[in-house]
Amino acid sequence: MVFNNWRIRRVGQAVFTVWAVLTLSFALVRLMPGNPMGAMLVQLEQSGMNPARARELVEARLSVRPDEPIPIAYVNYLTSTVQGDLGQSIASGEPVANEIAQALPWTLFVMSWSLCITFILGVVVGALMAYWEGGRLDVGLTSWAILMGSIPFYVLAFLLLIFLSYRFGWFPAGGKYVAGTEPGFNLPFISGVVYHAILPVISMLVASGVASLGMRGNSIRVLGSDYLRVARLRGLSDLTISSQYVARNAILPMYTTLLISIGEMFGGSVVLEQVFQYKGLGYYLYRAVNIRDYPRMMGGFMVITIAVVIALFIADMTYSMIDPRAGGSSNESY
Amino acid sequence: MTTTQSHRVQTHEPILELNDVSVTFSMDRGDSRVVDEVTLDIERNEVLGIVGESGSGKSMLASALLDAVVEPGTVSGEITFNPQDEPSVSVLALSKGDRQRFRWEQIAMVFQGAMSSFNPVRTIRTHFVETLSAHDEDIETGMERAAGILEDLYLDPERVLDSYPHELSGGMKQRALIALSLVLEPEVLVMDEPTAALDLLMQRSIIGLLEEIKTQYDLTIVFITHDLPLVADIADRVAVLYAFEIAELGPTEEILSEPAHPYTRLLLKSTPNLQAPIESMQPVDGAAPDPVNVPDGCSFHPRCPLADETCRASDPDPAAVSARHTADCHHYEAAPGAIPIEPPEMDEIQRTPSHHDAADEPLLSLDELEVHFETEQKGLGLFSDPETVNAVDGVSLDIYENDVVVLVGESGCGKTTLGKAAIGLQEPTGGAVQYRGQDIYGDGSDVDATDRFTADEIRRALQIVHQDPGSSLNPHHRISAILEAPLKQWYDDLDGNDRQSRILGLLEHVGMTPADDYIDRYPHQLSGGEQQRVALIRAMLLNPELILADEPISALDVSLRVEMMDLLIQLQETFNTSYLFVSHDLSNARYIAEKTGGRIGVVYLGELVEIGPPEQIIHDPQHPYTRALRWATPQLTYRDDRAQTPPIRTIDIPDPTDPPSGCRYHTRCPQARAVCAESVPETKPGSDAVGHDVACYRVQDDHDYWEDDPIDDADLD
Repeated sequence: MVFNNWRIRRVGQAVFTVWAVLTLSFALVRLMPGNPMGAMLVQLEQSGMNPARARELVEARLSVRPDEPIPIAYVNYLTSTVQGDLGQSIASGEPVANEIAQALPWTLFVMSWSLCITFILGVVVGALMAYWEGGRLDVGLTSWAILMGSIPFYVLAFLLLIFLSYRFGWFPAGGKYVAGTEPGFNLPFISGVVYHAILPVISMLVASGVASLGMRGNSIRVLGSDYLRVARLRGLSDLTISSQYVARNAILPMYTTLLISIGEMFGGSVVLEQVFQYKGLGYYLYRAVNIRDYPRMMGGFMVITIAVVIALFIADMTYSMIDPRAGGSSNESY
Repeated sequence: MTTTQSHRVQTHEPILELNDVSVTFSMDRGDSRVVDEVTLDIERNEVLGIVGESGSGKSMLASALLDAVVEPGTVSGEITFNPQDEPSVSVLALSKGDRQRFRWEQIAMVFQGAMSSFNPVRTIRTHFVETLSAHDEDIETGMERAAGILEDLYLDPERVLDSYPHELSGGMKQRALIALSLVLEPEVLVMDEPTAALDLLMQRSIIGLLEEIKTQYDLTIVFITHDLPLVADIADRVAVLYAFEIAELGPTEEILSEPAHPYTRLLLKSTPNLQAPIESMQPVDGAAPDPVNVPDGCSFHPRCPLADETCRASDPDPAAVSARHTADCHHYEAAPGAIPIEPPEMDEIQRTPSHHDAADEPLLSLDELEVHFETEQKGLGLFSDPETVNAVDGVSLDIYENDVVVLVGESGCGKTTLGKAAIGLQEPTGGAVQYRGQDIYGDGSDVDATDRFTADEIRRALQIVHQDPGSSLNPHHRISAILEAPLKQWYDDLDGNDRQSRILGLLEHVGMTPADDYIDRYPHQLSGGEQQRVALIRAMLLNPELILADEPISALDVSLRVEMMDLLIQLQETFNTSYLFVSHDLSNARYIAEKTGGRIGVVYLGELVEIGPPEQIIHDPQHPYTRALRWATPQLTYRDDRAQTPPIRTIDIPDPTDPPSGCRYHTRCPQARAVCAESVPETKPGSDAVGHDVACYRVQDDHDYWEDDPIDDADLD
């Protein structure tokens, strides 16, 4: 009974999602009216290229040969994608895979910082609100959290740019590192990188509002539980109770939310990096959409989808490590 | 083992003295006093039972003993620990640090919810270690002590300590919690409904263990419960709580045999048990008062048959009934005459004889029914086979028209699954269920087209009433909408007025008046008993032929149960239905089966081990498991044998994924012999009574069983 094991089922699900995304992008290029191929051909022909040369170029860039039967083309597309060949960018002629590999680390850098800080901020603020439930601090922080949760991150990004960058000049208005520094492990370069990432990271912290409200709810539920009451009666120290009892149990449901928000962060990076002229994956994607650079778009979307699928997969696989009750089945009474 | 004399406390040596202890909550509606000036001495080394209905303030009183009343409640009065010896402690005056040490080192507490008393993400061992280190005890010696206590509670220390809470069964968790409460060797153990969530057999076993533990660890136990018969098995003295005050206090024997307070007498009469004639069981009329609005004078007077002007005007003080027995009643001397506990005279008991004989065609026939569930393997093994739980295994049973069958057994024994499979809600993995000869899971091709029932007709004929009425009624629909749905479905010739009048009539019939008022309510505006009535009417409106009633009364307050059972029985007669009852309580099973002339079926690990008329099951049980259940059922009489060895060899039910070979009960059966582990006994008549069948070698006089050797530590008799 192979499929009885949820882990195997879960791997299957992940593989299916990735396959579905690949297939959809294949269909997008091939079958849609006014498809990317046509669009690219027209584009090249308009720029004065002769039709035969344009067609050749399109075939090379999109890895598409129009005379190939669709099933064979589909198989070829899948194999080349799996091998890491995402075609060539129309704009630059570079392999898309290389371009993505260069842009992705910057986005990951900003994203992982925002995620970490969002999570810590959400947990701490949520726990404080729960501890003083109904008090002045709770009311104040709840309002703050709702405000944060309702501001779109790009609005905050513009505000930060206007004030902290243009008005006061504290932070740079764009770029990834200080021009002229040598990329590598040296202090000027690294501090420049951090300096340039501060505003984008802060903009993404609006997500901590929702996170802290979630944490508040979880904590209040734990605070009302019987085991907490028994723990107090047993005379455990406040530190043990707050860390091992309240926090530990309240954070559990947030773990999955954290990994799901990776998807949101990637999506958000498209607009965010445009606002800050931060040349990461999002910036790259935005440009690709603007100039109809289909190979780039497809490559970028695919990377984002696969990242989200992997994040969720990791969340599912590791949840049982932090919560002993999870893990597919119960073995009650041995 | 304690001596039977232990309930008589010879010396007056209190370990806890309560003086005018009150617990108050400030609410918008006014101050709510949930414990009202209780004055009480708790003797050293006694077991004091505190009995009260839900909402009588008993849990608050328990928490007050440790000064652990949850915010925003406040405790006033005086609680003195160790009043006669040094150092005596005034519990309510302790500083925060002292209080933290006092709790658990001197007085420990066990809650009802053992399920939720452990941190779900930490092992049991961590809980012990934390407790020891919080009280600056040596971890190593402390853990040795913990292992010893766990062993005394019949738990395997290594296994239990390394488990997470969710990996233990309810009974194991409860015992682990008791061990945790004893790890600092406290003097007093306060137990708040410690067994309420457990099966009878486990309840009774834990009660037995408590007696041993009490002697061994030199404990004083305060045992709080709603269940008077349960506490009768362990308590030396019983305090009956009514409306936040102690109504009566005295030695267990006297409280049970000669209670002086009218409330205690009525409470005793309303409690189903195995001995008293069922005609004498009556519900207590009325409801307990709200803490904001306690009646003036004696708080019981609105429900008391003896109430007069004095009772309405003045609150009675404790009156001495005997040397150690007090009752807060103006008329305690008149109460025994006015409220007899035994019925005045035993009339010839009118019992409906069984409605069926063997020649009748059964309404529903189960044939070798099997329901197996596959569960998934834990761990990283990717290709391991799933484990199978045999929830129901080879059960054959016929239910006739106007018949009542009550299934009893421990939780997890498959009785509910069996019931659901019988009414077509759980597809069996083997065997067949026939409704008037037609397989209910088949396509009907097994009978002639003329006699065939459609799936809808079968569905309508077989109905269910769930355990929790609150979650079986749609919370967004009014009662009228809930009850109209079945009528619309099945009687489309009725117009709105007809439907309405039929519903109103039924509501009145079950005592929900004014019915006009009730039909416009939502389920949450009804009490638990009323919700269950609505659920019952909804099933009845379909005019079903069989209703599966899955523990229909276990969610209700004790004093309402008899009333509900009477209603169920009355509806059965009115509507000519059959019942398949599921219950874990032998007293309730007996009440239903005896009043309707039905049968009781005993289920163990998915098998029907004994079935028969209640007289045989209760008074002459043949299967050793039935005897164990009967032993586990609390009695209202003071038993001299209450400390006797339990008629089971192990407390815990075997793992259902790996049931024992042969007779499944042989691992716990005190009479098991070699053959029991090898082959499954077939079902044979257990006595001359019609329909009494037993699956045990002991009913076969000429079987090889009698020549075999007993296994392990089983008795030879």
